[in-house]
Amino acid sequence: MLGMKAVTVVTTAALLLAACGANDDGAAEGAQLTVSAAASLTAAFSDIGEAFEAANPGVTVTFNFGPSDGLATQINEGAMVDVFASASPTWMDAVANDGPGVTGRTDFAQNELAIIVPSDNPAAIESLDDLMADGVQLVLAAEGVPAGDYAREVFANARIAGAALENVVSNEEDVKAVITKVLTGDADAGIGYITDVTPALAGQLTLVAIPDEVNVTATYPIAAVTGSQEAELATRFVDFVLGDGQPTLAAYGFLPAP
Amino acid sequence: MTLVVDVVVRRGTTEVRAAFEADAGQTVALLGPNGAGKSTLVASIAGLLPPSEGTIELDGTVLDDASNGVHIPPEHRPIGVVFQDLLLFPHLSAAENVAFGLCARGVARSEATTRARRSLERLGVAARADARPRQLSGGEAQRVALARALIAEPALLLLDEPLSSLDVGARARVRELIGDELARFPGVCVLVTHDPIEASTLADHLVVLEEGRVTQIGSPEQIRAAPRSRYAADLVGVNAFRGILEPLDDGAGRLATGEGDVVVPWPDDFDGGEVIGLLRPVDVTLSLESPVGSARNMLRGQVTSIEVDGERARVRIATAPPLVAEITAGSVERLGLRAGVLVWASFKAVEVQILPP
Amino acid sequence: MAALGVAFIALPFAGLVIRTPWSRVVQILTSDTALTALRLSLVVATIAAAVSFLLGFPLAWTLARGSFRGKTLVRAFVVLPLVMPPVVAGVGLLAAFGRRSGIVGVWLYEWFGIQITFTTTAAVLAATFVSFPLAVLALEAGLRGLDERLEDAASTLGATRWYVLRRVTLPLLGPQIAAALVLSWARALGEFGATITFAGNLRGRTQTLPLAVFEQLQTDPDAAFAVSMLLIAIAFTVILGLRGRFLR
Repeated sequence: MLGMKAVTVVTTAALLLAACGANDDGAAEGAQLTVSAAASLTAAFSDIGEAFEAANPGVTVTFNFGPSDGLATQINEGAMVDVFASASPTWMDAVANDGPGVTGRTDFAQNELAIIVPSDNPAAIESLDDLMADGVQLVLAAEGVPAGDYAREVFANARIAGAALENVVSNEEDVKAVITKVLTGDADAGIGYITDVTPALAGQLTLVAIPDEVNVTATYPIAAVTGSQEAELATRFVDFVLGDGQPTLAAYGFLPAP
Repeated sequence: MTLVVDVVVRRGTTEVRAAFEADAGQTVALLGPNGAGKSTLVASIAGLLPPSEGTIELDGTVLDDASNGVHIPPEHRPIGVVFQDLLLFPHLSAAENVAFGLCARGVARSEATTRARRSLERLGVAARADARPRQLSGGEAQRVALARALIAEPALLLLDEPLSSLDVGARARVRELIGDELARFPGVCVLVTHDPIEASTLADHLVVLEEGRVTQIGSPEQIRAAPRSRYAADLVGVNAFRGILEPLDDGAGRLATGEGDVVVPWPDDFDGGEVIGLLRPVDVTLSLESPVGSARNMLRGQVTSIEVDGERARVRIATAPPLVAEITAGSVERLGLRAGVLVWASFKAVEVQILPP
Repeated sequence: MAALGVAFIALPFAGLVIRTPWSRVVQILTSDTALTALRLSLVVATIAAAVSFLLGFPLAWTLARGSFRGKTLVRAFVVLPLVMPPVVAGVGLLAAFGRRSGIVGVWLYEWFGIQITFTTTAAVLAATFVSFPLAVLALEAGLRGLDERLEDAASTLGATRWYVLRRVTLPLLGPQIAAALVLSWARALGEFGATITFAGNLRGRTQTLPLAVFEQLQTDPDAAFAVSMLLIAIAFTVILGLRGRFLR
């Protein structure tokens, strides 16, 4: 009996302490910024985050990378996120209209789609039309994920939707997962962003260009989430991305915002 | 239908060495204390434990031949076994249990069931034919187990301690039942027991097994008349002394048993060596004071236990060697005997019967 | 303390019941996505449970009755899928059966043109891999608890080893066999990480109910709640239905 009581007390205490720790909002010293960003921004934003921390000593930036639709849903369901960077306007709208709302929304970059194939290109994909060939194992991001919606838009533009979509063998939860399936060699090709072939992956993946007339330009908005505990810091981060962060984005292949 | 067993069987740290025979219609009892190896031997005869050495033959067919690698598995032996724990199949009814031996051998279910029910009827448990084993009383379960073993008309029946788990009342009834069944059973029956009464009443001859060795084979009467070991003697209620006999003086010898010495008569034409001496408990006299008399054996020791059976009492005494004395219940009263009381036990040398080992 | 435990388990279910959009539930659950995922899930889970049993029984037998060196090691391997994160299991399956990264997969693809990833077979493989240990453990426990002497008794009654297996061992193992099937089926039904990593996500071919829930969660949480309720209702019904008879 005594043992039981002790366990209850200790558990409750531990939970309370953890909760206290999480709600600890100190001064600029030890401040914590949570940023949800589209999966395609993983490499670029990791670098930007480090630079921001260096420029703001005592600040820690924590990233949530994932599909923009999932991230937006999380925020709308109450996730404590300070900044949201989406791969499409649609999901920023969702947070603005159906969620807590956003402040200082600005487009900060653009991206284009490309066909991603393994560097030895076993299925010999050289163009969009090659994606219609029998037996091609094509991987896309799921509908709802910006990269997935954009890809389907490209297919529609090129009028190859019927045949190309027949070759889809998997709908991945974000564009990074698409890249992974191409990397392991199980997929012949995937539709991702031109920025997805990072320097690190350049040896294993090849980009096959999509003609401009059918391609989609993805516009990336960023904003501070209204009601965040770190409103001032969030705005500072947004400004950083719009300013000092631009060269980094360019280095990874992102196009400047219009 | 003769059973010939001549084997060495090993299981774990137990080793059993036994050789005996039995003819059709005979019942041989394997009698011995717990741990003697009886169940091990029976497992071997049943085919569940191949012997390490030796042979088992039934009806001229070799069931086991260790040196030639012959081993007929149990399912191909014409046997029926009643196990100590019965081992009735819990998921089958009594009738289904009995029918199992027929169904397993290819008999059609309907015919097997009919024969099973008939068998249960003969054994007096027809009313319980559809009950599950856990619903049966000890005696009923025993009958079902017996019926199950007999249904396929085996040439060899093995009964492992059939009465030991029954209460006193059931024991007598089931013993009678088994006796009746054995009387009509045409094959060989090997009965394992530690109860001499069971052995004497049910078996034609006994094989006494102690610590993995056969110490005596004979009919119950022969064994009663001349037990060859402490255990056998104990069974038939006799004091037995085993040891080296050396001459003492004119006509007498000293039998050194290792637990104490006894003065005994020197047998005719005896040159010395190991013997067994038998002394009936009724020939032992007890007194509280040091006896003065012609008896050449006077031993002193504490009473360890007293069993009163009607008018008679058997008193065990921790003398050197230990003794069992049989006196009247009245004497127990008169002498005030209880456990722990120090007494003198005396007997004459001539009252000890000497047998060769 | 016990009440705390029950509350801990019950709370997520209570939450689901409350958050499910009951007005839209029928529409969501009869949607093409949901029905397709349900049908696929039931097929995959059933095949996975059957394979787990067929492969698991001989292994359980060996573990329960055999004595050989390395038994501890074998048992550790069998339990491994239970304790490893399912995604890791998926990665492992890729390393074994991936078209270009799998040690067996490469051979299958290059020699026979067989690709396992992105197929329903892959979904079955993933589900079987994670539910197999449950079947083996349940069956082993059952075999251990069986009195082998009953099998001896049967053989003295003339039963061949096959007859003993059919008429004595398996019937007596009934409850444990049912437990093995139910547990592995339920686990297979809920498998996510290994499936999404190894089999991919395609409606009708590899999108089982858990994957459908995950996809819905990104865009329409309410629909996700509804489909989650369905999953739980199925598993709960099966467990309850058999509980009285078999899972003592």
